[in-house]
Amino acid sequence: MATLSLFAVGLLGGVVLHVFTDKAPPENPYPALPKVEEPRAAHDVVAAIGAGDAQALSRQLDSTMLTDLDTALQPIVDVRTTKFVGAVESEGRLLSAYVITGKTQENIDFVVGFVLRVANDQVVGVN
Amino acid sequence: MGTFLVGMLGGYVIAAAAGVFIQDSGLFGASGESPVARTYMLGLLQRDPNSIVGIRPNQSIAQRASELQAADSSRTTGQIQPLSLTYIGGATVGVYSVHIYAVGIRNAQGVDQFFPLALTVYGGKVQRSE
Repeated sequence: MATLSLFAVGLLGGVVLHVFTDKAPPENPYPALPKVEEPRAAHDVVAAIGAGDAQALSRQLDSTMLTDLDTALQPIVDVRTTKFVGAVESEGRLLSAYVITGKTQENIDFVVGFVLRVANDQVVGVN
Repeated sequence: MGTFLVGMLGGYVIAAAAGVFIQDSGLFGASGESPVARTYMLGLLQRDPNSIVGIRPNQSIAQRASELQAADSSRTTGQIQPLSLTYIGGATVGVYSVHIYAVGIRNAQGVDQFFPLALTVYGGKVQRSE
């Protein structure tokens, strides 16, 4: 019983220690843009990536954007999951952000983030 | 004493894991933004390479000097004016986390630019920025 209590007190102490050592992000002195909904065009592109549908992707993106997408996904070669994390808009220019998880050539789990630029309901760039 | 220390370690790890889960899921209004990622972005926008030396991969002395030179020149000529910094979102997988920002700046020609930056954080440092 005493051992269990000691363990519980230690556990609580660990939680308290974490609270004091975990730093919050510093203040952002710049304005932040409001979030918007995921653009349809970007959603379709990422759905093709998630489904491994190269045929659909080849119709949605031009060769420059496909090259940029390839660079953005490095070192992932086998996409496992895609997640929309948010989108923002400034003067008609939309940035739609995604996180991709997957396996590298060496079969190591990895995560990358990339952003699709959208204008006039079309994907116009990949970062 | 050993039991207490094991409990403390367990509590710390559990609190850290819960923190990551809460941040990623957005529970309790958490944005998921990493302090390291935010510090890095502020260092970039404020053209203060010294403030981010400790949170990115080591660079050679020549690279650091060159970067300081560029930052000084940029500050004195007022080439770039930050307009906005928005944390779009991110996720954590194992020891890696990805944080994506949208940055608005006005360049020396007075043209507004709006672009994203995705940071990969590993081991308390920004390992990749693109």
